Amino acid sequence: MRTILKLTSALYDDLIRRLREPHDFAAERVAFLKCRPALSATSLLLLAGGVHHVEDGDYVDDPSAGATIGRSGLRKALQTAYTEAVSMVHVHLHEHRGRPGFSRTDLRENALFVPDFWNVQPSLPHGAVVFSFDSAVGQCWIPGSSSPSGVEVAIVGSPMRCTWKVPNGY
Amino acid sequence: MAIKLNLQRQSFLGADSETVLERSRAALVGLGGGGSHIAQQLAHIGLGHFLVIDPDFIEDTNLNRLVGATLEDVGLGTAKVDIAERVIKSVNPSAEVVKRLASWTEVTAELRGVDVIFACVDSMSCRSELESFARRFLIPLIDIGMDVHELNGEFSISGQAMLSMPGGPCMRCMGLVTDDGLAKEAERYGAAGGKPQVVWPNGTLASVAVGFLMKLVTPWETQKVAPLLLEYDGDMQTVTPSNKLPYLPTHCKHFVSPHELGDPFWTVEALASVFFS
Repeated sequence: MRTILKLTSALYDDLIRRLREPHDFAAERVAFLKCRPALSATSLLLLAGGVHHVEDGDYVDDPSAGATIGRSGLRKALQTAYTEAVSMVHVHLHEHRGRPGFSRTDLRENALFVPDFWNVQPSLPHGAVVFSFDSAVGQCWIPGSSSPSGVEVAIVGSPMRCTWKVPNGY
Repeated sequence: MAIKLNLQRQSFLGADSETVLERSRAALVGLGGGGSHIAQQLAHIGLGHFLVIDPDFIEDTNLNRLVGATLEDVGLGTAKVDIAERVIKSVNPSAEVVKRLASWTEVTAELRGVDVIFACVDSMSCRSELESFARRFLIPLIDIGMDVHELNGEFSISGQAMLSMPGGPCMRCMGLVTDDGLAKEAERYGAAGGKPQVVWPNGTLASVAVGFLMKLVTPWETQKVAPLLLEYDGDMQTVTPSNKLPYLPTHCKHFVSPHELGDPFWTVEALASVFFS
């Protein structure tokens, strides 16, 4: 079973624009896609309907990472997941072309904070995706599973961009 | 060994176009005059995965327009999905064809997983329901329809092809689905007699529909934005961008709530049953 994150090109364009805005001290920005899940015959679909942006004041000045969210920022994201009953997919951008990859820090932190969303939405999958300018990779935590599975990404618009169709970038 | 289509003559669609098409998945809902044309063209362009859906078997009145159907099929009462599969496989034996002799509402799990849906259905209510479904699962929907009207003792052929892109204007925004139209259709429900249908307008509209798909998956130029709604005047033999286009909203006003996304009956048990079974 594959996991596919789908978002409209309008949502994607807005997301990327916001992620590229400079911050006073954080080297990059992060956000969360608010998704609703569905099962197809062959895939788990995460259908993004909006973005939870991390406010400027909710970043912590941490030179060891591109962006670190403080407790307040994480609490707001958890609150959004709880009140809106959505799957949360953490997103950030690596500013290059071609297939991106999670850093060791990303992988370590994803494994720590993504499953925390089960505290507020235990029946929903949650995940993390890193975008480049023309590709993306991701991880998804399925309720009942301790290790993440891979995420493919489809940007629904004209043109359609799907990570599984062109290996080195859509 | 699987025989591969030679797509050299369409290589201008891009270096990766063959791979993209091979990995693309389209659903055809309705395999009558319009859907059968589209199935044939998608086979020729090298689409890799088909989900063909139609609950009907061929009748003798279909033979004037159902591409690939034969007199023998009429005698045998062949299912329309079987004819579509035969047409597709005869052009591209490597294509995967999943066929469902059913209404689309009975195969929604499969339908959720496609990249694009072609709606080739007769009624306004059916195309409206199909569009709602497509919006819920963020699937672009390409719709075609034609009609023959009687005017002052003569006949007039018209039709349209439209792309309903999640987030963009929908059929209601474009005036193709209206409450009044749905009410009138409901009043006529059960009325006997088939609508007039002929092969060449279906072929024209099917070609436009396939063009919509190609612009989505293998755009050969990026500067020109194709209109979302094209109108066919069968009397004048023209296909033109709709006059409504300048007045359409940029964003849809009818499918706006994020609560209208995803599975309304989501359960973790259903997820566990497919992931851990």
